[in-house]
Amino acid sequence: MLRLHPLLLAPTWANQVLQFPPLLVGLLMLVVLAPAASAQNGSPGPDEMPMAERFDHWAWQPLRAVTPPAARHPVDGFVTARLDAVGLLPAPLAKPHEQLRRLWFDLVGLPPTQEALQRFGERPSDAAYLLEVDQLLASPQFGERWARHWLDLMRYSETLGHEFDFEIPNAWRYRDYVIRALNQDLPYDQFIREHIAGDLLLEPRRDEHGNNESVQATASWWFVEQTHSPVDSMQHQADRIDNQIDVFGKAFLGMTVACARCHDHKFDAIPTSDYYSLFGFVQSSRYVQASLKEVPPESEAYQTALTRQRELSSLWLPDAAATTSGVTFRAEDVVIADASDHKREQDGSQLSNSQWFVSNDAFGNEPWRGPFCANPNDDKPQLRQLPGAFWLSAAAGTQREGTIATATFPLEHRYVHVRTAGDHSRLKLIVDGFHITRDPIYGELHRNIDKQEAHWITFDVQMWLGHKAHLQAIDQRAPDLGDPRHNRGRYPDHCWIALQSVSNSPHGSPPETSALPLVTEADAVRTIANWRDARQRLSDAVAALPVSPTIPAMADGSGMDTNVYLRGDHKRPGEPAPRRFLSALEASATSVPKESSGRLELANAVLTKGNPMPARVMVNRLWHHLFGRGLVKSVDNFGALGEPPTHPDLLDWLATDFEANGWSLKHSIRRIVTSHTYRQRSQLRQDAAACDGDNKLLHRQNVRPLEAEVLRDTLLAISGRLDEALYGESIEQPKEAVTNARGSPGQHGPRDGHGRRSIYLAMRRNFMPEMLLAFDLPTPFATVGRRNTSNVPAQSLALANAPLVHDLCGLFAKRVIAHSDNHAQRLQLAYQLAFARKPRANELASLLAFVGQNPDEQGDDEQGDEEVRTWTDAVHALVNTTEFRFRR
Amino acid sequence: MKNPIDHSAFGNSSVGPSRRDMLRQAANGFAMLPLAHLLGRDASAQASSAIGSNAPPAGSSGGSLVRHHAPRARSVIFLYMDGAPSGQDLFDYKERLVKENGKPFALPKEPTQFNNNGNTLGPVAKFKQHGESGQWISDLLPNIAKAADKLCVVRSMYADFSEHTNANYFLHTGHGLQGRPSMGAWIGYGLGSDAKNLPAFVVLNGGLVPPGGVDNFHSGFLPAHSQGSLFRMTGEAVANIKPRETDERQRRKLLLTRRLNQLSLDADGHDPALDAAIANHELAFRMQTAVPDLLEIDGESAATREMYGCNDEYEQTRTYGRQCLLARRLVERGVRFIELTIPDTGSDRWDQHGNLRRGLDRNCRTVDKPIAALLADLEARGLLDETIVVFGGEFGRTPFAQGTNGRDHNPFGFTMWMAGGGFKAGTSYGSTDEYGYKAEENPMSIHDLHATLLWQLGIDHERFVYRFGGRDLRLTDVYGNVVRDLLD
Repeated sequence: MLRLHPLLLAPTWANQVLQFPPLLVGLLMLVVLAPAASAQNGSPGPDEMPMAERFDHWAWQPLRAVTPPAARHPVDGFVTARLDAVGLLPAPLAKPHEQLRRLWFDLVGLPPTQEALQRFGERPSDAAYLLEVDQLLASPQFGERWARHWLDLMRYSETLGHEFDFEIPNAWRYRDYVIRALNQDLPYDQFIREHIAGDLLLEPRRDEHGNNESVQATASWWFVEQTHSPVDSMQHQADRIDNQIDVFGKAFLGMTVACARCHDHKFDAIPTSDYYSLFGFVQSSRYVQASLKEVPPESEAYQTALTRQRELSSLWLPDAAATTSGVTFRAEDVVIADASDHKREQDGSQLSNSQWFVSNDAFGNEPWRGPFCANPNDDKPQLRQLPGAFWLSAAAGTQREGTIATATFPLEHRYVHVRTAGDHSRLKLIVDGFHITRDPIYGELHRNIDKQEAHWITFDVQMWLGHKAHLQAIDQRAPDLGDPRHNRGRYPDHCWIALQSVSNSPHGSPPETSALPLVTEADAVRTIANWRDARQRLSDAVAALPVSPTIPAMADGSGMDTNVYLRGDHKRPGEPAPRRFLSALEASATSVPKESSGRLELANAVLTKGNPMPARVMVNRLWHHLFGRGLVKSVDNFGALGEPPTHPDLLDWLATDFEANGWSLKHSIRRIVTSHTYRQRSQLRQDAAACDGDNKLLHRQNVRPLEAEVLRDTLLAISGRLDEALYGESIEQPKEAVTNARGSPGQHGPRDGHGRRSIYLAMRRNFMPEMLLAFDLPTPFATVGRRNTSNVPAQSLALANAPLVHDLCGLFAKRVIAHSDNHAQRLQLAYQLAFARKPRANELASLLAFVGQNPDEQGDDEQGDEEVRTWTDAVHALVNTTEFRFRR
Repeated sequence: MKNPIDHSAFGNSSVGPSRRDMLRQAANGFAMLPLAHLLGRDASAQASSAIGSNAPPAGSSGGSLVRHHAPRARSVIFLYMDGAPSGQDLFDYKERLVKENGKPFALPKEPTQFNNNGNTLGPVAKFKQHGESGQWISDLLPNIAKAADKLCVVRSMYADFSEHTNANYFLHTGHGLQGRPSMGAWIGYGLGSDAKNLPAFVVLNGGLVPPGGVDNFHSGFLPAHSQGSLFRMTGEAVANIKPRETDERQRRKLLLTRRLNQLSLDADGHDPALDAAIANHELAFRMQTAVPDLLEIDGESAATREMYGCNDEYEQTRTYGRQCLLARRLVERGVRFIELTIPDTGSDRWDQHGNLRRGLDRNCRTVDKPIAALLADLEARGLLDETIVVFGGEFGRTPFAQGTNGRDHNPFGFTMWMAGGGFKAGTSYGSTDEYGYKAEENPMSIHDLHATLLWQLGIDHERFVYRFGGRDLRLTDVYGNVVRDLLD
């Protein structure tokens, strides 16, 4: 197919401007040239300040050593001091049931159990409260609750969105990673380090099964939205990385770094070169499905498998014949990578590993040479002989998974020739980091490899001349990014791929290849006697290697700095922007290795002692979740356009205390929830209306609606339907809840999600759970540290009429009926479950009147039992009260 | 210069005593509150003080919160033609396309989505000039053609994206990626609803949700109450609107809930958040009646239903006719922004990559009669003057063939039209080149469209901002001009 060079044909916007009438050109030029255009156009704000003066902003300053004012609890000292200044006292302690309910919802997202109510009693001591705090922090539900807060920051999603809503394979493992990390109280600095560069740690953290934990955090980079078939792949890359930088800046640093994409940040000390310095780190990294339990190729077990493979093949052809590839490159061919050369260079003691990028363990440490048997378990096993040296994914058996890729190279010529062989495997040419190699437009960049003899594959890259690309050979059973759903399970266990050379050439035909003697079946028959035993030994050795689950992850690619894109336009490169961390936070430039991404160095720079951001931002998030409002209200923006802290000393003290206690989130949460400030009443106070009407000074706790997940989980809990199982693949939505549109999930789950907690419901960008959305679950597109708290009819309608709510109220009713024959005792239980307290006399009277009176109606009897129906109505009324929907 | 105010303070802001008293009344009885209060319009109220005058326009019971100048229109009906109809076959007549049909295309071609580009493809139907204005309209739209003198046709639209999802987000939100508020959300957020028992932004879903999903109608970073409420044409119109029990049982339950709320407030004291939630609960209860009442069209005259095509033999026409009729009823009730998505005709929306004539026949048949009826009905009731009707898709189509009988995506030039709401009737604006390929004279961007719509509603798009993530964001980003040539 003839394609024309897009750079020649597609007029850039500048070209289009030239075709426009002069008036419009003038208007556009105004927009382009006037740097303060947007400020004049209605984006008012502080006057722009010289860059140097912006460092004076409070958030860039190091943590200050602060001594808490004398008080029983350090947090209360800070808060009381400010209240004192306006003549207010803190509110009294909240009622015991309010404290208990608050603590449970905030720490574990569930209502207090019967046991907790008994433990805590009506008159709780401080000791009983502390015990409750410790038990909740130690419970596995703690991680489930707080992981959801973190997922909001990472715009966690299991699909890519857009037209087809392609799946991000195995994304759910990241959700489990976060739950485990929080439950283990992983030090937060390590948590950040793993998020930025968990794939690069020399000694990754492993769980008790030997699974690599650290690498799993890097899945968070890949929850970025992606479209299929963008017309401009470079623009798409710029947009993807923009979102990745945006999340990085807001989540870890509380800084809107991405504002510096088109111009120096208007208000913060972030020049546009900082943005493109960070851009380089991401551009130098690649998407892979990483194995959690990689077997190191140098390990004994892996080497045994290789030895058995060699033994087997030597039975067949003791002196492996085809020792050269037989390929003759032409003068114009640019050899990007060649496995045969790799071997030759090794012999000539000039080993260059940087040519190849290997992920996971399928390809081992060096190219294979000689015959091999890909699948010794096959009924009719075949030995193969490929000429010369090849990177081979099956030397240690086809159970291994992995990819091998070239360095990133510019597409200088129209054709890319690849010498390969394989079975049910894939080759992809990744242009500008774009992985969804599908029609229309990108299908040319994707080839299924199903021919088991060495052959050439040729890519026509006319459309992408001048772009940067790398070639990737993929042997993995997990679906690829952008695979249609019906491809699940399409890749059988016996897939393998071999890759020899990649070259970029002006010639449409591949390089000359001399004919080589290939081995025939007859050769195998010749050695059949020994073959069986050798095959079994290989099979055993292969079986001894564990099969690993995979997760989307970061991997290093070729290290490359980028240039500033002038006004954010990738077609207008400006000055080079070498990779480094934010210039405002860094005394000296980060030393970044040339040949790799440098993310580990970036992580270390972020966590350098003296960078106040990570600790300050995190303790503020904790505060936000425990009070409904951060000490800095704009939790994701500590910059000049964010809000200043209401209690700067307290913020710095908490951050310092956090760092000093091993970055322990549980420690800091315990600090806060044991304060009187947290435990005080939430009732409105007349005496504070004038001097602290918006409660910035914390003269009371805040009344807050239960979040979407807490509300649903609470309904499950009180109805007895909650399944407390941890982890696992996500639960799909019921069929009736999914609109029929492109990318609809192929699988469906039950209406009640098997009773699993809401964090385990599938998060598909285009098919988010409707009920959770109505209660302000954010759509995953950017970091959301502070959810909307809206108040819409859809919420009341859901609680009044949603079938799930009716189902669960039915179960709730049966539970209280089973409890006792006495109506008052049933109501006692219902109140304890729903409100963690006993009913007051007037409430009891109203409810007793309600359940004692049968509505004179027939007909719509779903439960078939008058008593169940009446009690269902009664508990449904409880669920619809504001007391149920709010935490005081 | 104005001060930045954090409009996203929603939910944490304090509420004045007069409002609290009003809400307390609502909690105690069934006081009818303006929707603006019921829906927690605190944030909008702040916005108005930051943005400009908040004097309500005459005749508006809900109270307009953003008002930069006297509005010319009150409501918008967006007839969204999902999939992108081809101007070359409907509104943008080009003699050269007819003459050179089947010949190699004379201009350089941009790369397209499928890049399977063939020769010049002439219009698949005949065109005539219609009305006093002499608008060129295809024979495929005979009824809309009769309304030619009501239309303000822009034949020089262009978009920034040539792929559906990006282009849909761009058309709806002014931004090509997911996550920004839809124009209906912006308008509903800024102006509120005059309707007592209905939300400000309603999407009448004919059956197809456009690529990009319901995010096209989302509130993004705006408070959730401003998001589009999806009314389906089949099954339950609004999620959970239908009680699962008899009226009597529900009423008893509501009374019990109300009583328990009262006892709880008596014991623990009021709180603005609790009061607002209670008011909301009451509104939801009322919506259970208001929505079925809206959807009950049997009270319309037989002539009206016939005119809209509610009895048409083609099922899709019946569906779209009902949507158009409901749109009028929503306008009458004071709903601010109404969007119609199209029914499924089995031809993949207006996205005719092949079988162009067949797809156009089906889609035109679906929308032609109902839209003409909507324009006539609005006019007859004196509503057209204050209602902007917008017709169009996310981009246009190529003047050259894809394969042999399709047209590929073309963001460089396409047609949209407006009617009513102070847009000049019987007007043509802008043009494409001789082949209907690229906008040439008076190119008009999607941002321009947004700016112009806002202007007619009394809003200056440059001053209508919302603080999110440290930036003041607009529907029109940093672009857009009000195209005054389109306006009376």
